[in-house]
Amino acid sequence: MPDKTLPRTDVVIIGGGWTGLTAAYELAHEGQKCVVLERGDHRHDATSFGAPEEHDELKYALHHTHMMDVKTSTLTFRNNRSQRALPMRRLGSFLPGEGLGGAGIHWNGQIWRPLPSDLEMRSHYESRYGAQFIPENLNVQDWGVTYEELEPHLDFFEKICGAAGYAGNLNGETREGGNVFEGPRSDEYPNPPMKQPIRSTLFGEAAADMGLHPFPLPSANVTQKYENPYGAQLHPCTYCGFCERFGCGYFAKADPIICVYDRIKEHENFEIRFRSTVMRVEKSEDGQTATGVTYIDSDGLEVFQPADVVCMNAYALWNVHLMLVSGLGRPYDPQTGTGTVGRNYAYQTLAGVDVFFDEEIITNPFMGAGALGTVIDDYNGDNFDHSELGFVGGGYVACNQYHGRPISYQPTPEGTPPWGAEWKRAVRENYLHHAGIGVHGSSMATPDNFLDLDPTWTDSFGRPLLRMTFDFPDNDRRMSNYVMERAVEIARNMEHVRSYSSSNRAAEGSGYSIEPYQTTHNTGGAVIGTDPSTSVVNRYGQMWDHHNVFVFGACLFPQNLGYNPTGPLMGLAYWTLDHLKSDYLANPRPLMDA
Amino acid sequence: MGTLFSRRAVLAGLTSGAALSTLPINHAFAALDDKPFYFLTPDEARFLAALCDTLIPEDDFPSASQAGVVDFIDLQLAGPYGKGQFIYMQPPFPSGTPEQGYQVSLIPATFIRQGIAALMEAETGFVDADTEARSSVLTRLSEDDFDLGDLPAKPLFDELWTLTNQGYFADPIYGGNEGYAGWEMVGFPGAHAYYLSFVDKHNVPYPQPPTGINHEPGGDGRIPSGLKPQEV
Repeated sequence: MPDKTLPRTDVVIIGGGWTGLTAAYELAHEGQKCVVLERGDHRHDATSFGAPEEHDELKYALHHTHMMDVKTSTLTFRNNRSQRALPMRRLGSFLPGEGLGGAGIHWNGQIWRPLPSDLEMRSHYESRYGAQFIPENLNVQDWGVTYEELEPHLDFFEKICGAAGYAGNLNGETREGGNVFEGPRSDEYPNPPMKQPIRSTLFGEAAADMGLHPFPLPSANVTQKYENPYGAQLHPCTYCGFCERFGCGYFAKADPIICVYDRIKEHENFEIRFRSTVMRVEKSEDGQTATGVTYIDSDGLEVFQPADVVCMNAYALWNVHLMLVSGLGRPYDPQTGTGTVGRNYAYQTLAGVDVFFDEEIITNPFMGAGALGTVIDDYNGDNFDHSELGFVGGGYVACNQYHGRPISYQPTPEGTPPWGAEWKRAVRENYLHHAGIGVHGSSMATPDNFLDLDPTWTDSFGRPLLRMTFDFPDNDRRMSNYVMERAVEIARNMEHVRSYSSSNRAAEGSGYSIEPYQTTHNTGGAVIGTDPSTSVVNRYGQMWDHHNVFVFGACLFPQNLGYNPTGPLMGLAYWTLDHLKSDYLANPRPLMDA
Repeated sequence: MGTLFSRRAVLAGLTSGAALSTLPINHAFAALDDKPFYFLTPDEARFLAALCDTLIPEDDFPSASQAGVVDFIDLQLAGPYGKGQFIYMQPPFPSGTPEQGYQVSLIPATFIRQGIAALMEAETGFVDADTEARSSVLTRLSEDDFDLGDLPAKPLFDELWTLTNQGYFADPIYGGNEGYAGWEMVGFPGAHAYYLSFVDKHNVPYPQPPTGINHEPGGDGRIPSGLKPQEV
C-alpha cells in the first residue's frame, strides 16, 4: 500500500524532458489536467547555465553535473548472452539526463528528419532490391507511420526550436545547397544556416568537387532573434564551444525549458513535481488499462497518482526499464524470439577521420557549437545503391566544429605516444590545425541485442537494474567501414591536409565498449509498429496491451536511423499527441485492432 | 587529512636537481602555499609530482607539477570525485571484459592511495630516477604489465593519467593549470567565450589571452582572483 493516494488527474506524465513537457503543453491546452513527475531537480537556463561559470569543462563535460546520477541508478552491460553483465559504474558511452529538461538540456541541437524510405525500411529495401536482400538475422521493420504523415509534426518541432538550415527539398523541388536527398519539406527552415568555420568550409569544397552534395548541418543553435510558436524568445548562438554536455545560458540552443516549460508552467492545467521518481505504472484488474503511477516523492513517501491517461516520457532506456518492472507488455525472450518489451534495442555506429592541416590553416576549434558543420548525406539511408554492398543502412559524413575544450580536445597524429614529451609537443602543434570528420551511421536491430532486467544489481530503490546486451551487428560493421572509406576519400581531396588517420568504433574484431563516449542515441526496446508480435505500441504510440498508456521517445524506433534522434522522436511525439487530442480523449479505446 | 608541511615546501624538496627548482613564485595557487594538503601526505605528493612530470614533462611550457597538477589531484581526491560520488558502488565486483569498463571496488581516493603505496613499495627509486626509467615504469603500468597485488594496474594508470591531464588543462579554479599553462600552450582562450563575429574569419589567430571562470574583468588575465575548489 502506498503512503498516500492523491486525487485523480486526467494525465500523468513520466519525465520532464522534451517529450514530457511537450505532452503537457499540448494536453493542458486541450483542457486536460496534467501532472508531470520529474525524478531530478528544477533548473533554468537563466539561473543555472550562465557563463562563465557554466563554461567549466571539468564540472559539466567530465564530471557530468547535468546528467543522470549513476551512483543511485545505472544499468548493467554485456556484449553477448554468454557473458555476465556488469554494472556501468560510471557514465561513458552515453549520457542520459536528469532534472528539468532532461537530456534536452545538454544535447547538441542537431535537428534532423528521417528519410521517407527510412520509415518504410523493410518494404523499401524489399521493393528496390528483392525480398531476400535484407540479411536474415536483422529485425528490420517498417515504422507503421509514413514520412508524409509525420511531415507536419517534424516541421512544427523545427519551428519550436527555431531550426537553422537550408531546405534541400521544398514541396518536392530539389535545391542545391540543401540536403537534396531529404523528403519534401512543406516550409523553409525558420532561420538561416549557421556561419561556417574554415575546416567545414574546406570539407564542403572537397566534397562538392567530388560531385557530392554538402550542406550546412541542420541546427537548433539559433542564428538570429526568434520567437517560437509557443511565444518563447530565442537569441543568436555565440559559438562559445560549450554546447553538448552544457546548458545554454545564452538562450541560443533550443531546449525544453525555454522553448516549452516557460510557456506552460503558469497554466492552470499544468503541475510538475520534482524529485519524484516513478516506481511503476499500475495496471487495472482486467489488465486493459493502467490506473496511474506509484512514485517516491521528494520526502521519500510512496505516492499513488491515479490518472486516466499515462504518458511514458522517460529517456528511451528508462521507459523500457519502467515497463519491465511494472509488468507492462510482454518481455522479449531471446531464446524463443517472442515478446516485445526490450526487443530491437539499437544504438549508433560511429567512425571517423582525423585530418591534420598545414600551418596555414588555423581552425580556432574553441569557436564551436553543437550543430556547427558541413555534412553530406550521399551515403545515408538508401541514398546510394546498396545492391553490391552486402549491407543495409548508411550514415551521414560531417565535418563539425563542436569545441576546443582542452581536456577533451587533444588531436594528435597517428603514431604519437599517448603521453610524455612527444605527446605534449604534438598536442601543442596540432590543436589549432586539425579537423574531425565524423561518420554517423545507422544501427540495425538483431535478435541478439536486447534489454531485460539484471538478476544481481539493483538501483537505490531496490529495483533490478536494466540489463543491456549489445554488440555491433556484422551488417553495421560493414556499413561503417564502407562509409568511413568514403570519408577518407573526401579527406584525401581536402586542401592543406598534411596527414590523416581513420578509425571505426565498429571495426571488425572490436566489441562495443560501454566506456568511451560515443553518443546518447540509445533507441528501441519499446518499438512502434502495426503488428503486436513485433511492436510494443501501435502506430499512434499507444500500447497494444493498455490503451491508456502512450509511449514517447527514441525507444519507439524499430531500428536506429543514420540521423540524430531528437527531430524524428519529436515528430512522433506530435503525431501521437495529435491523435490523443483529436480522437482518443473523446473516445478512449484501442486506436488500432490488435 | 592534513600535514605539517606546506605544498610548496614539499614539492620544492622533490629532488635536488630537477624540474621543481623552477617552480614559479607567483603561481596561481600561491594562496595554497601555506596550507597543508587536504588529502595527500608529503610522500604521496612527491611521488605524484614525479609521476605527473613523467606524463607531462617540462619543455617550453611548464611540467605538470609546475602547473599545479599535484594541488589539483589533492583537491580532487579530497572532493566528490575521490569520495566516489560519480560511481555506482554496489557490490559484487566481479571482473569483466575491457568493454564492460571500470569495475574497481574502491572509491578513487582509496584506490589511488593504495595504488601509490604499492607503486612506492615496488619502485623505491622512482622519485629520483631519470625520465627514461620512470617512463618505463609507467609504460608497464599502462600496459597492465605490473603486479600490484589486488589492485588492477591499468585502471590505476588510467586514473592517474586522467587526473594529470585534467589538472593541466582544467580551469584554474580547481588548483591546476597554473598561470593558464595548459591553455597558453595550445591557445585555448578559456571560459569567457563569445565568438559570433569571429567564427567565420578564417585562418586568423585569436588574439585574446586565456581567461578563466574567476578572471576579473579589467585584470591582467593571468591570475584568478581566488580559490574556489569544489566542496571538500
